[in-house]
Amino acid sequence: MKNKRCIIYGLVFVTALFTFANGAHAGLGGNADTIGADRRSLSASHRATTSHGGYTVEEMAYASTFVREYISSAGIVFGVAWNGYVHPDLELLLGPYAREYTKSLRNAPRTHGRRRQHIVTDNVVVEKWGHMRDLHGRAYVPGLVPSGVSVDEIR
Amino acid sequence: MRSGKFIVLLLMFMIMAGCGGGGGGASKTLASIAITPENPSIALNGVQQFTATGTFSDGTMQDLTSSVTWSSSNTNTVVATISNTAGSNGTAAAVAAGMTTIRATSGNVSASTTLTVSSETLNSIALQPASPTVAVGGTQQFSATGTFSDGTTQDLTSSVTWSSSSTNTNTAVATISNTAGSNGAATAVAAGTATITATMAVSQPIAGNISGTANLTVVAGGSGGQANVLPITVNGSLCSSGSYPNKPCVSVTVCTPGTSNCQTITDILLDTGSYGLRIFNQALNQTLRVSLTPVASGSGQLAECVSFGDNSSEWGPVQMASVVLGGEPAVQIPIHVVNYNSFGGPPGKSGCTSSNSIPDTSPSEAGFNGILGVGLMVQDCGTNCTSSSINVNPQQYYACNGSACSWTAVSLANQVQNPVAMLPANTNGVADNNGVIVELPGIGANGAASVDGSLVLGIGTQSDNTPSRQVAAYSASVASGTAEFTTSTSFGGTSSASLIDSGSNALYFYDPNLPLDSSGTWYCPASTTQLSATNTGSSGSPSATVTFQVGNYNSFHASSYSVFNLGGYSSFDEGFDWGLPFFLGRNVFMGFEGMQSNLGTGPYWAY
Repeated sequence: MKNKRCIIYGLVFVTALFTFANGAHAGLGGNADTIGADRRSLSASHRATTSHGGYTVEEMAYASTFVREYISSAGIVFGVAWNGYVHPDLELLLGPYAREYTKSLRNAPRTHGRRRQHIVTDNVVVEKWGHMRDLHGRAYVPGLVPSGVSVDEIR
Repeated sequence: MRSGKFIVLLLMFMIMAGCGGGGGGASKTLASIAITPENPSIALNGVQQFTATGTFSDGTMQDLTSSVTWSSSNTNTVVATISNTAGSNGTAAAVAAGMTTIRATSGNVSASTTLTVSSETLNSIALQPASPTVAVGGTQQFSATGTFSDGTTQDLTSSVTWSSSSTNTNTAVATISNTAGSNGAATAVAAGTATITATMAVSQPIAGNISGTANLTVVAGGSGGQANVLPITVNGSLCSSGSYPNKPCVSVTVCTPGTSNCQTITDILLDTGSYGLRIFNQALNQTLRVSLTPVASGSGQLAECVSFGDNSSEWGPVQMASVVLGGEPAVQIPIHVVNYNSFGGPPGKSGCTSSNSIPDTSPSEAGFNGILGVGLMVQDCGTNCTSSSINVNPQQYYACNGSACSWTAVSLANQVQNPVAMLPANTNGVADNNGVIVELPGIGANGAASVDGSLVLGIGTQSDNTPSRQVAAYSASVASGTAEFTTSTSFGGTSSASLIDSGSNALYFYDPNLPLDSSGTWYCPASTTQLSATNTGSSGSPSATVTFQVGNYNSFHASSYSVFNLGGYSSFDEGFDWGLPFFLGRNVFMGFEGMQSNLGTGPYWAY
């Protein structure tokens, strides 16, 4: 009896560990397998996959919005960048970091006359800028950026 | 002997005096006169203008209308009188039914024709236009058309008596001319509503007056009486108190379409980086809030969510309004009424909720009552939003039924759009719709409390908007699909996209060498520093250096000034933003997409 319960608990624990280790959530912090899910959620089509030193960029597009996901060689999405006439859905793209971003937004002061916003939370940096019909943004998890890669490459 | 010489001299003098009347030169004599029109017929209370053309002995012809003597025979009864008064020579006015001979005489040359006055009477007078709107200092020409008992009409503009009245007790709202040559021209004097009346005295069928009326609405605006000029104040009288620095403000007049129910609204941000007029619901009076007509979308109403670069967002319905800029004719276009609570609030995943943006829920939160977007593009979304393959959130336009809103495609005509680009022809027959010029004076190194300047509508369409030879146009490319338009700016050895944006309140650029203030936002060189960058048009030319000043933010912050050479930090990828300081001391031309001017075809910036 005891052994069976242990085995069940063990299986549940390992499954959970496996799930989290694989980053089965979509967006930032997710793994490369979730990019397809992101595309489907955005009704986007794949545009290009390009390789750089230490990371790969998957670019997708829907309507006139372009989203680029930056994936480390370990297969983790460490940054996203976008441009278009609307910002994409950040609740999806920020993954588990969306909540702390939203919380920080509520406390952010309105920066009248400045056409950019720069939010830094404990774990994520989210920047937006641009003008009507040509909005831009990017978000990255500093802790996940591969060494030797500059955040300015996320664009 | 002496008396004989005297007589000869006297005779010679008399002969000379009798010859060639009125000065030397070639002597030609009047041979004949022709009167036009020949044998006309007019109704009772009608008028007829006659012209007398003289033919001279040398074959030349001359209009003698003002110099002949006109007469009307009125043999049995007075049928018509004809004027010999300066300014109305040759104008015959009907008095009673019958016929009369009209004669034009000059010396011993004359001509005649028959004028018939029918027994038709004047029934009514109608004025055109019926309810125009004009800014203070502008003019409006009215015409009066009489309709007679037989259904015929005649232009009576020059023969009615014009008058203007209003309920303003202190100043006339408008004056109107009864002077020959400018009959019916009204001049707008002060804001308000004037009743314009045209009156003709009649004797048939009974003695009295026939009148027609029109309403003239006069709105504030127009600098120095020029219809295509709007005043701009940077942190001045058109801005709300406590405005953030470097904020250019204008006023616009918004009316219920098809009526003279108007409101002039100040504290409107002049924005060359956006397109379309946006006004907070809270800034509209109650009548406008309920009377602007919704734009239909499917079975519901059109609404939109727009975001700005600082992550602020505006949500609310798109409604038709009649917009008056300066002294220009009103333009009827969709505008964005910003109302955070409309349709139950912004839809989830629209980009206007507080999970994704900083929604502006009031003018004080936004820092303005509204935005006048007069940038390079015409619509605020363009062909991005017309496609029927739009099928996912977030989107810009929504169709709302009650509080159920879903994304929708929208035609170019229904999108919120640049009001200047849609201006119709003004009273000179020209449309000031191909661009705008922002004219602001420069400031010293210490800054200024406020500066006053002008927004001039149209490029090369009037004498006040013609660019000088030194002005060069930098075309802005429009990449297909993205509607991204840029010129490029090279600074510190690297090149990036750039834009010229009066809605940005500083020059925002990346300079790792300049010290920043404690918040990391504003540059703080020890003293005002001069830098330079090179702007290049999208076609590769022109390419020229711009020098600019960046002042010490901390000194500015400690001063009481609101206008300053502010420089702000932006990251490397964000490009170069030539904000409001770029406009100080410069005339900046914005040429709208697809519109022609003597600077070229838009979109372009020029300075």
